[in-house]
Amino acid sequence: MSKKFRLSRRTVLRGTGALMALPLLEQMLPRTAHGAPGDVPRRLAVFYTPNGIHMQKWTPKTEGPMWELTPTLEPLAAVKNDLLVVSGLANMPAYPDGDGHHAAATGAFLSCAKVFKTEGTNLRVGISMDQVIANHLAASRATRYPSMELGIDAGRGIGNCDSGYACPYANNIAWSGPRTPVAKETSAQAAFDRLFAGGIPGETAAQIAKRRAYGKSIIDVVRDDATALQGQLGTADLQKLEEYFASVRELEKQVEDVTVPAATCAPGVAPPVTEDPTAKTKAMMDLIVLAFQCDLTRVATFMLANARANKVYPFLGLSGGHHTYSHHQKVQSNYDALATIDRWEVTLLQYLLERMKSVIEVNGMSLLDNSIVYFSSEVGDGDSHNHIDLPIILAGKGGGALTPGRHIRYQKDPLANLYIYLMQAMGVPNVTTFGDDGTGPLAGLV
Amino acid sequence: MVTSCTDDEPIARVNPGEEVPNEPNPPETVPPPAGECESAASKPGRVTLHRLNRAEYNATVRDLLGDTTQPANDFPIDDHGYGFDNIADVLSLSPLLMEKYSTAAERLVNDAWTRGVFNTCALDPLNPAPCANEILSNFARRAWRRPVQQAEVDKLMTFVDLARQHADPPDAGVRLALRSVLVSPHFLFRVEKNAPPGSTEPYTLDNHELATRLSYFLWSSMPDDALFAAADAGKLSDPVEVEAQVRRMLADPKARALVENFAGQWLFTRALGTATPDATLYGAFNEELRAAMRTETELFFAEFVTGDHKLKDLIDAPFTYVNDALAAHYGLPLPGSPTHVRVELTGHPERSGIFGKGSLLTVTSNPDRTSPVQRGVWVLEQLLCSAPPPPPPDVENLPPPITPNMTMKERMALHRSAPACQGCHRLMDPLGLSMENFDPIGRWRLQEVSGAPVDATGDMPDGHILAGVGDTQRYLKEEPKLTNCMTEHMLTYATGRGIGEADHCAVKEIAGKAEARGGRLVDYVLSIVSSSHFTQRGAEEEQTP
Repeated sequence: MSKKFRLSRRTVLRGTGALMALPLLEQMLPRTAHGAPGDVPRRLAVFYTPNGIHMQKWTPKTEGPMWELTPTLEPLAAVKNDLLVVSGLANMPAYPDGDGHHAAATGAFLSCAKVFKTEGTNLRVGISMDQVIANHLAASRATRYPSMELGIDAGRGIGNCDSGYACPYANNIAWSGPRTPVAKETSAQAAFDRLFAGGIPGETAAQIAKRRAYGKSIIDVVRDDATALQGQLGTADLQKLEEYFASVRELEKQVEDVTVPAATCAPGVAPPVTEDPTAKTKAMMDLIVLAFQCDLTRVATFMLANARANKVYPFLGLSGGHHTYSHHQKVQSNYDALATIDRWEVTLLQYLLERMKSVIEVNGMSLLDNSIVYFSSEVGDGDSHNHIDLPIILAGKGGGALTPGRHIRYQKDPLANLYIYLMQAMGVPNVTTFGDDGTGPLAGLV
Repeated sequence: MVTSCTDDEPIARVNPGEEVPNEPNPPETVPPPAGECESAASKPGRVTLHRLNRAEYNATVRDLLGDTTQPANDFPIDDHGYGFDNIADVLSLSPLLMEKYSTAAERLVNDAWTRGVFNTCALDPLNPAPCANEILSNFARRAWRRPVQQAEVDKLMTFVDLARQHADPPDAGVRLALRSVLVSPHFLFRVEKNAPPGSTEPYTLDNHELATRLSYFLWSSMPDDALFAAADAGKLSDPVEVEAQVRRMLADPKARALVENFAGQWLFTRALGTATPDATLYGAFNEELRAAMRTETELFFAEFVTGDHKLKDLIDAPFTYVNDALAAHYGLPLPGSPTHVRVELTGHPERSGIFGKGSLLTVTSNPDRTSPVQRGVWVLEQLLCSAPPPPPPDVENLPPPITPNMTMKERMALHRSAPACQGCHRLMDPLGLSMENFDPIGRWRLQEVSGAPVDATGDMPDGHILAGVGDTQRYLKEEPKLTNCMTEHMLTYATGRGIGEADHCAVKEIAGKAEARGGRLVDYVLSIVSSSHFTQRGAEEEQTP
C-alpha cells in the first residue's frame, strides 16, 4: 500500500492561492512511481467530451489489428498500438423522455440508467461505474481519495440545462448514488491543493497524532449534531442529511489516514492559472497522471465541458458554438467544424496518453500499461442524437485487462457490459449486472 | 418529414411532471375555473433541508466573521434548477465539498482569531471556562441562526478539555470548537424543523426560521443583530414588524445580493461572463464592454430594489446607467465619465427597459448572429412563464439565406414553414424578431450584416403586430401573465424550491396583492414574505413520495 505521501519541502500547500511559481511540473516529476515492487495497481481514467463526434472521420474502416488511423484519430499516431477503438456499443437507457438527449445521456453516461425527467425535485439516476469502483477501493482504503472528479467548465450559470432535465444531469458524470452527483473540481489550482494539502513538513509523530485526534473529535461532534437532527426532519430532508453523513465518513477516513509522511512523491508545482481550454485541460491531465503516479487515487473522471455546452473555440478558427455545430444538418462546413473540434479533443487525449506512457512504474511497465483510459461522448452523431454507435476509445493495457492495437466492432451490445468488464478488471467482485441493461462482461477486449 | 424547425439554441423546457406533447401546438396554460383559487386550501409546500450555496456561504462568513476572502469561490460549482442556484433539492453535498468546508473552517477560524474577532473576553489559562463559554455560545448562536441550548455549548466546551489533555492552551480548544461550529449541519444547512409527526396541518415557522428565510432571500446571508433581536423578541409574528424589517433590509447595501443572485440569474446577466461574440464580425465587443454591460444592468436593477419604480417597469423604464464606452456603443450622448452615470433616455426609447440593455441582448445571441428564438424564448420563460416545449426531434437549424440579402425574418419564415414547428415558433419568433434592430452585441442597427434592411416586425398569434421593440414593451406590460410570472420567479428564489402547478393559486394571490400594494419590487417582496408559502412548511403528507 502506498497511500502515504509528503510534500516537497519547497512547497508548503496550506490553503489556496499561496503557491509560489516554480519550475515546470514535468521537471519535478519522478520518472518512476513509488510502491512496493510488483504491487502496481490498475487505474481507470474517464475522459468525457460533449456533443458527440463526427463519426465519418472517426471510425476506422477496417476492424482487427490492421486498422488504420482516421483523420480525427491521426493525432494518436504515436500511441496507436495502445488504443482499442470500440465501435457499435449502445447505451439505450440514455434515450430521454421527449427531448433532452444531452442531459439524459450524460446522466446515463457512466450509470447506464435512465434518468428521471425533472428540473430539480426528485433527481434520480443510477450509481456510476466509476463510483462502484471507488466504493470497492474505499472499502480497503486503497488510496487517500477513492476517486477524483475533474472538469474545466463551470457552466453559464443561468437558465435551464436541457429541455426539462435538471442541470445536475448535464454537469456530472459521477454519481455516488441515485440522487447524489459527485461534484467535480473545475479549478486546477484547487484540485492540486487538495491532492497535496494536509501534510506539514517537519511535523513530528506526536504532532500528527494530535492533529488526527483533533480532527476526529470535530467529526464526532458534528456527527452527533446531525444524528440529533434526524428526529426533527422530514423524508426529503433526511436524504440531504444522508449526504452529510456520507461526506463526513469520507472526511473521517482522510483524517484517520493522516500518518507520518514516509513515501516520496513530489507534488511538483501548482498548475498555471488559466482559462484557456487547452492549457487548462492539460493541467487537469497532469493532475490525473500525478494522482495516479503518487497513488492518491486510482479512479479519475474528467469532463471537457458540460452536456450540451455551446462553447466557442476561437483558437481553432471557429466562431460558432460546439452544440450549434453538432446540429450539422449534413452541411459540410459544420462537418468540418466538428471534425476540427473532435481532432482537438483527441489531441488532448493524446497528451494524457503520452504523459502516462512516459511514466515507468516499478513493474517496469508504463503507467499507461497499468491503466485503462476510457474516452467517449454522451451521443454519437450530435444532430440525430443517436445512442447506438457511440464513439469509444479504450487506451492502455489495464495491467493485462485489455489487448490494445485493435479496432473492434460490436452489434449494439449494451455499453453497460463494457462497464461490467471494466469494473471487474478494476477488481470489483461479483458484478454481473449493471444499470438498466447490463447483462455480463463484454467479451473480446483481451 | 420535418425540414426546418429549431433555431440553433432553443433554451426550452417542459415543466416537471408534464408530458412532452407530440402535437405541434404548445400547451396553453389553462386558467383555473373562476373561483377555483378562492376555495383552494393554502398549501405552502415544503422546502428541503437547504445547504448554503457558494454565494450564501461567502456572504455568511463575511457577516459572521468579517471575512471577505470569499472562500467558497474554491468550492465546486453549485448546480442549478428552476433557473436558480439556490434550489434546495438540487444543492447536494459531496465528500469533496465537505473537505472544502473543513479546510475553510480551519482557515476562517484561525484568520479571525488572528484578527481579534474573538477578543471579547480574555481566556484565563487557569480558568478558561467562563470566557470560552461566552465566546462559544455567542458564536454558535449567530452561526446557527438560532438560540443555542446550554447542552450544545457544553458539548463545544469539551474541546477545551481535549486541548488541555494534549497540553495545548485553552485557545487551541476554543478554536477547535469554533471550527466544529462551521462544519456542523446547523451551519451548513438552513434547518427548519418538521411539523410534529402525524400532523397534517402546515407548520408555521418559528421566528428564527423566518428571520433566516428573510435574510437569505434579501441578503443571501445570515440575519444581522437587529433581525435576530426581533426574532428573539418574537416580533416577526407581527406583519407590521416584518414589513419594517423588509424595508430596512432592502435599504441595506447587503441587498445587493438580490441584484447579483436573483436578477443575475433571472435576467441572465451572469451569462455575460461566458459570452463569446465572433471576434471578426463583432470585434467591437471587448472586456471593457462586457464589464460595462454587466454594471449597467446591475445598477438598473438596483434602482428597482431601493427606488419607487413598479417592477413591471423593468420592461420600459426610461433610464439607464452608462459610461463613455457603453454610451458610444449604444449611440447615446457621452456622459463624459469612465464610470457609469445615470442618464434619462429622452429621445432614445430603444434603450429603455431590459430589452435595451447590452447584457440581455448579447447573452441571447449566437456568436455570429442574432437569435430571435433565444430572445423570444427568454421573454416567454422569464417574463411570461409560458415556455414552449422543446422542438421535435431531428429538426434542422435556421437555413442559410437563399438570396444574399434575405432578412432574418424571411429566413425564420422559411425555417418555421414545417407544420410541426409552427406551433411554437409562432410564439417565439415575433417576440424575438421585434428586437432585430439590436445586433448580437446590443448595438442599434438598421441593416443586417448582409446589407438587407432590418425587418423588426413580428406577428403574434393573437393578431398583435409588433413593429419593433417598443410594441413588444407595450404588449408585455399589458400581458396579464407578466405579474404572475415575475412572482413565480421571485417566489422560486425566495423559497429555494421549484414552483409548480400546485402553487398556481398562491402565485396569483401574491401577484395580486403585490400589484394592489403598488407593484414595486418591495411590494412583491412583502407580498411573498407574508404569504403562507414563505411563513409555513407543509406537513409531511403533502409531499408526494
